[in-house]
Amino acid sequence: MTLRDWVPIFALLVPGLGLILVLIGSVVYVAVAQSFGYYALLGQSAFSLEFWSDVFDRKLFSRAVRYSIYVGFWSAVLSVALAYPLAIWLRKPFPGSIGLGALLKAPLLVHGLVAAFLYINVISYNGLLNQFMQGIGIWSEPRRLQNDPNAFGVLLLQVWKNMPFALLLLTGAVQSISDDILDASRDLGAGPWARFCKIIAPLSISGMQAAMVIIFIGALADFTFQTTVGPTNRQSMAQLMVSFKSRGDWHSAAVVGVSLMTIALLGSALLAFTSRVIMRGGLR
Amino acid sequence: MTYERLNSLLITMVVTVAFIWLAIPFTMAVLWSLVDPAEPWTADKLLPPVMSFYRWVDMWENSSLRYALISSYTLAPSAALLGLCLALPTAFALGRFDFPGREFAKLLCLLPLVVPPFITAIFFSALLFQLGLNTWRFGAIVFAHSILFLPYAIRILTVSFETVRQDHIDAARDLGASAWARFRVAYLPALKPGISATLLIVFIQSIEEFAIAFIIGSPDIVTIPTLLYSALGQDFVRPNAAVLSLILVVPNVFLMLILERLMRSANPTLSSGKG
Amino acid sequence: MAAIGIRGLSKSFDGFQALSEFSLEVNQGEFLTLLGPSGCGKTTLLKIISGFLEPSTGTITIGGEDVTHVPPERRDTALCFQSYALFPHLTVLQNLEFGLKQKRVSRDQREVRISEVAAKLELETQLEKLPNQLSGGQQQRVSLGRALVMRPSVILFDEPLSNLDAKLRDQVRVEISRIQRDYSLTAIYVTHDQSEALAMSDRIVVLNGGKIVQVDTPEDLYSKPRTPFVADFIGGANLISGRVSSQTEKGPIIIETSMGPIKTSHLVKDNVDNVELSWRPERAKIGEGPHCGTIVHRAFQGQFTDLILEQNDIIFRIRTNNDKLRVGEVINFSLSPDDVVVLEVDK
Ligand SMILES: Nc1ncnc2c1ncn2[C@@H]1O[C@H](COP(=O)(O)OP(=O)(O)O)[C@@H](O)[C@H]1O
Ligand SMILES: [Mg+2]
Repeated sequence: MTLRDWVPIFALLVPGLGLILVLIGSVVYVAVAQSFGYYALLGQSAFSLEFWSDVFDRKLFSRAVRYSIYVGFWSAVLSVALAYPLAIWLRKPFPGSIGLGALLKAPLLVHGLVAAFLYINVISYNGLLNQFMQGIGIWSEPRRLQNDPNAFGVLLLQVWKNMPFALLLLTGAVQSISDDILDASRDLGAGPWARFCKIIAPLSISGMQAAMVIIFIGALADFTFQTTVGPTNRQSMAQLMVSFKSRGDWHSAAVVGVSLMTIALLGSALLAFTSRVIMRGGLR
Repeated sequence: MTYERLNSLLITMVVTVAFIWLAIPFTMAVLWSLVDPAEPWTADKLLPPVMSFYRWVDMWENSSLRYALISSYTLAPSAALLGLCLALPTAFALGRFDFPGREFAKLLCLLPLVVPPFITAIFFSALLFQLGLNTWRFGAIVFAHSILFLPYAIRILTVSFETVRQDHIDAARDLGASAWARFRVAYLPALKPGISATLLIVFIQSIEEFAIAFIIGSPDIVTIPTLLYSALGQDFVRPNAAVLSLILVVPNVFLMLILERLMRSANPTLSSGKG
Repeated sequence: MAAIGIRGLSKSFDGFQALSEFSLEVNQGEFLTLLGPSGCGKTTLLKIISGFLEPSTGTITIGGEDVTHVPPERRDTALCFQSYALFPHLTVLQNLEFGLKQKRVSRDQREVRISEVAAKLELETQLEKLPNQLSGGQQQRVSLGRALVMRPSVILFDEPLSNLDAKLRDQVRVEISRIQRDYSLTAIYVTHDQSEALAMSDRIVVLNGGKIVQVDTPEDLYSKPRTPFVADFIGGANLISGRVSSQTEKGPIIIETSMGPIKTSHLVKDNVDNVELSWRPERAKIGEGPHCGTIVHRAFQGQFTDLILEQNDIIFRIRTNNDKLRVGEVINFSLSPDDVVVLEVDK
């Protein structure tokens, strides 16, 4: 293509893709620059590694990193693990399967904050769950379930919100495997487990990887669930970043932000790679 | 016939779980929003003792709800329109021209979806500070929303542009149509559902967006999600939170259902999961 | 003993009767073809034999053993799919190995069987390729090979040639026949193409609307169709109805039709007056003869010419080597009484 062909295409790409690159590019640039001491709002801007070493020395930070990875990893794994059997089950339509799929995907329509409210409502001190457990006599008195230290509430909400998304991606992937291929494997003697390991899993791996990575990034960077139902003695990375920022400590916020992006990137790559190895090689 | 028995057992199980999962929490939310302050709903009663729309009226008159509704419902259409205008040229290029690196360009368009929203929010606000634009909150949110949701807009419109049939364009040219007439007869019919879907999806996403509105908007601009967030946090009054939750979720469910229908009629590839 | 026995088989889908009262025996080493128009239940029958569908009533035996409720993965059948159904993520070698690994055949045995089949199907150089790197004919051979390495007691084909172009089709057809004979496999072959059926089969089962219409060798099916459906479906015979005018002990029977009297040497059942006759287009001898017609359409086909003739508002078809005849000419022809078949009237 000549320069003359490129000019109109470039001109067309500028308002859309161009702005995306400018915005995201400058956001990432500002984050990295601030983490090294540039773009100070107060005081002088100069290169320094001080913020990195300061933040990395804090126990708060390493706890937040571990905690965010914990939430991200388990949210992704649990959502996908729940969605896989459902997707396989709903692969072939049967009476009621469309309604069932819609029912399972309904949480996609519900805002995360609303989900958090609904959850709080059910598990609160005088909420339905406590009443129920007392009613059937398992618990003698109401228990405090809100902001549980193991973040089961956060994980539950993440799965509630993300399982339907994984289901959406996996149903697409699993439905694109033709009946003939599955029938052929049966005809050659493959039972249900062999069919899953040798045919379904390898052929739907890209859908699964996409679901894993997207859920992982979202849950890793979670702020709303953590601040509404998460444990009070721990902070997620996003929460830590926001709290640094609201104290005006932009440089430390930037260090957390850049670390968060790095972990998102590395973690996604690692998750995608491991799931491929497990699905393709390990189960052979 | 054990397979069928197993299947109906599974159906029953999933429906039960989904019921616990959805119906109970929502019923609770509706009931809580109807609790009259005259008598509190205590744990020993199955239903609220006195039910009224008092909370709804009260929230409407005495809280920032009205203000949040106004700002959410002006932000969203502005972001939708701006997003559409920004997405159209890029989608045209991606959908109608074959140039080296096109697939890569499509991939790059997804960037806003991979960067965690709070990072975008915080460092976009840092950028605004640097540029001295930090008082320009409303415009900044509209701008950020429209760009953040460009991936959806570009994706939908690219598919729409791809479905414009070259033989329709050629036939129109062959019959001597001007550029405008060609656009009307060949492009517009194929684009229309895509345009509505784009407007709707950016609208919904913008209404729901929390991070940007929270970081950039506070304290001046309150949207429904940020209002709900504060209602869940420092000033947690359960009936009020219930009212807000319902206001946030109910219109969106309807909008989403319309969207789903639109997408299905617009481009089957999107609804069949290849999108 | 029969390799496959099908007794009193029916299958209905939500009230729609896809197969009814189906009984058939397939002999060891036989090449049996199921022939019928699209939608007549061929695939359904094949799926029941291979175990993917359970019959509503009836039983299936393979090698004398009742397998009606045995799932496909434990049946000793191998199915060749119309779409080939090769596993797209596995190489040719892995595709061929798949079934053997499921059956836990030892590595040595696997190698022996695969190299033998690969040699026979000329796939040795393709073993490391993925299916989408192969041509249609090669994919077809892999699918065949994948079935063959299993050494099944029955091999089932569902329209295996319909995705191939005309030239390849002839080639693969010959190949399948040869392999079936070499291994003396019992084969059930489904097709809607009558020429395929006639060329390959030991016996042909003609199906229509989920029922068996006629089971015969190709030669008998062609020369002695029993019903108008078979006569028309195979070779497009001319059909005409008439009245028996004289039935004597000796000599041909004379049937009065709108084409004039036609003689047949086939027997008509007693007490039947109205009969349906069929005769093959290529059996008419043009020249002298009692019958005549006006050529209304002519289609030159190369080795022969198809003529459509009309007489007394009846249309019929004649196939001839004479390419000089033109539309509008009136020709005379005769039919040998042996070639005029009396059909059973469909109920
Ligand atoms: N799963 C099914 N549900 C309902 N009807 C079916 C099903 N499978 C096949 N049929 C019907 O049964 C009839 C026979 O189908 P099939 O065996 O596929 O015909 P063919 O001879 O073309 O292979 C068709 O009319 C088809 O519509
Ligand atoms: Mg068929």
